[in-house]
Amino acid sequence: MSTVRRRLAPYLLMGPGLVWLILFFVVPLYFMGRLALESGTLATGFEFTWEFSNFTDSFDRFDEQFLRSFVYAGVATVIALLIAYPLAYAIAFRGGRWKNALLLAVVAPFFTTYLIRTIAWTTILSDDSLVVDVLQAVGILGEEGRLLATPTAVIAGLVYNFLPFMVLPIYASLERVDVRLIEAAKDLYASSREAFWRVTLPLSMPGVVAGTLLTFIPAAGDYINAFFLGSINQSMIGNRIQSLYLLELDYPTAAALSFILMAAILAVVVIYIRFAGAEALMGEEAEQRA
Amino acid sequence: MTMREAGPVGGLRKLLFGVATFAAALVIAACGGDGGIEGGGEETEVPVAEAEGQPSGQLKIANWPFYIDRKTVPEFERETGIKVTYVEEVNDNNDFLAKVQPQLERGESGGRDIMIVTDWMAKRMYDLGYLQHFDEEAVAPAKENLVPQLANPAFDPERQYSLPWQSGMTGLVVNKAEAPDVTSINDLFDPKYKGKVEMLNEMRDTVPLVMMADGIRPEEATEEDWMNAIEKIREAAESGQIRKFTGNDYTRDLANGDAVAVIGWSGDAVQLQADNPNIEFVMPDEGCTLWSDNMVIPIGAPNPTAAYEWMNYVYDPENQAQIANYNYYFTPVKGTKEVLERMGSDAAESELVFPTEEFTANCSTQDEPPGGPEVVRRVEQAWQDVITGA
Repeated sequence: MSTVRRRLAPYLLMGPGLVWLILFFVVPLYFMGRLALESGTLATGFEFTWEFSNFTDSFDRFDEQFLRSFVYAGVATVIALLIAYPLAYAIAFRGGRWKNALLLAVVAPFFTTYLIRTIAWTTILSDDSLVVDVLQAVGILGEEGRLLATPTAVIAGLVYNFLPFMVLPIYASLERVDVRLIEAAKDLYASSREAFWRVTLPLSMPGVVAGTLLTFIPAAGDYINAFFLGSINQSMIGNRIQSLYLLELDYPTAAALSFILMAAILAVVVIYIRFAGAEALMGEEAEQRA
Repeated sequence: MTMREAGPVGGLRKLLFGVATFAAALVIAACGGDGGIEGGGEETEVPVAEAEGQPSGQLKIANWPFYIDRKTVPEFERETGIKVTYVEEVNDNNDFLAKVQPQLERGESGGRDIMIVTDWMAKRMYDLGYLQHFDEEAVAPAKENLVPQLANPAFDPERQYSLPWQSGMTGLVVNKAEAPDVTSINDLFDPKYKGKVEMLNEMRDTVPLVMMADGIRPEEATEEDWMNAIEKIREAAESGQIRKFTGNDYTRDLANGDAVAVIGWSGDAVQLQADNPNIEFVMPDEGCTLWSDNMVIPIGAPNPTAAYEWMNYVYDPENQAQIANYNYYFTPVKGTKEVLERMGSDAAESELVFPTEEFTANCSTQDEPPGGPEVVRRVEQAWQDVITGA
């Protein structure tokens, strides 16, 4: 009896998680997959016909947006990393008693909703705004130059909106770094720079990997920034999925496109993790198990 | 080690199999064997929503935001004893159809007695079998007060299933200080205004105006005419001439100075004027498009009797004046002007609230591309590709 119970225990413990996964992941995924293989229009009704051409057609039609989404998300991730790492480093090692206040300052803007913040940028960056006037005066922007409705604005919006997702994981892993290891490196005649490259940075890699994933994945599927800060020449794949679902009411193509996006993101992430190493993501536990 | 692992792994496989079977059963139960969403389309007799006895009970209305003043609903409730649930849930015609379609497909209205949708969407819902004909006797008092310009639209010549809530004009909204010489839709393609021009993302607002600017009447346009106009817009958008395709948010861009001339709606222009006197609605040389947002009664509406009571109530000029004074759109009710004059409201003087026959002489109603749903789908797809940049 007790052995049966002992054998069952792990599954019972997994139960709630499994039920959750099935109800909120597997079942919706099934419906979406089915929808992606239907054909027809709203007026004539949709029918399940194994319509695989939904996938090939939508990829052919929207390859430009796919490429653009990944380029924008990639560039935004790199810029966010370049801003977030020094910031997290400063807070973790130089923050002192201001640590919590500084962290709060990173997070505070995000008490306002995403949409409102992005719309606020349309006012800040508008053609008659101070920002544009100054940039024109110093010659960075041409006479007729503008910020809104350019790739710059969209990427800047992505960086701004996802920055905390980069800062917080990096901060968390830097915070855990044992300062004595850095001291030891210096005792062994490492310069500050060398100690950073060979001790601090490798130890903070889990945060960097987590941060880049948490930034890249939502940024690749984002449509709010491209919608408000861009024009049609900056539209991303999310904009197309949104309009296919809500305006064109072409559910099968929208579902197929969502699947392709999901698969593409998954592929990028898998390659990235293989490249960066799973230990980096999971931290020491993965390393020990391996 | 190996001994200990054998059990759980075999068990796990069984468990996963069980889980998968369970999930499959769930899924099959949930979709009832047939596939996903299905549309109507069969030819059936359109039912009449008959009025019965005295109006009472509940009334649920689905309307667009900012389309009614605060007093009309409570006053109607007090006068008739009908309890009104007024929901501002329509933000976009297609969006709204997507939301209610699964219910209407089952013959239910989700408790809605009146929905308010634009002309072409009313037609589309009617063709899908989602709407009922009016009970002519019950709706007669309202229809008597309908202005002649709106009485016989092409999509519903007898007003059998639709009655305008408010109407409006789509034309040019211009900042006179920045773009004083914009009087035609063609001026929007002038390189002088590169990057300062915006158009509406509603296909039936923008494309007919561009066709009219090229001398094509939308009522007579072919699929090719639609496609050519869309192509012309695409080129302008890709070259950066057109900055953006917008919904109501062009108002913000005009106020910010990001845009100086746009395709926009008459009611918005009046509201923008309050902040910036330079902004005004300009009737394009080639004419405007006229549209209405219409009250319709969906199939399965629980209380049509109360719905007619509401229609007759808002078509009383005294009550309509209160609504017109709030939203400054073209009012569909005769006699409202006199009431507004008596109230001393500026709306009475506005050419946009009370356009004369001459003012709207060249205007056309918003039509669908010709040739049935398959053509409409192709044209819509081409349009969406332009406004979202495929």
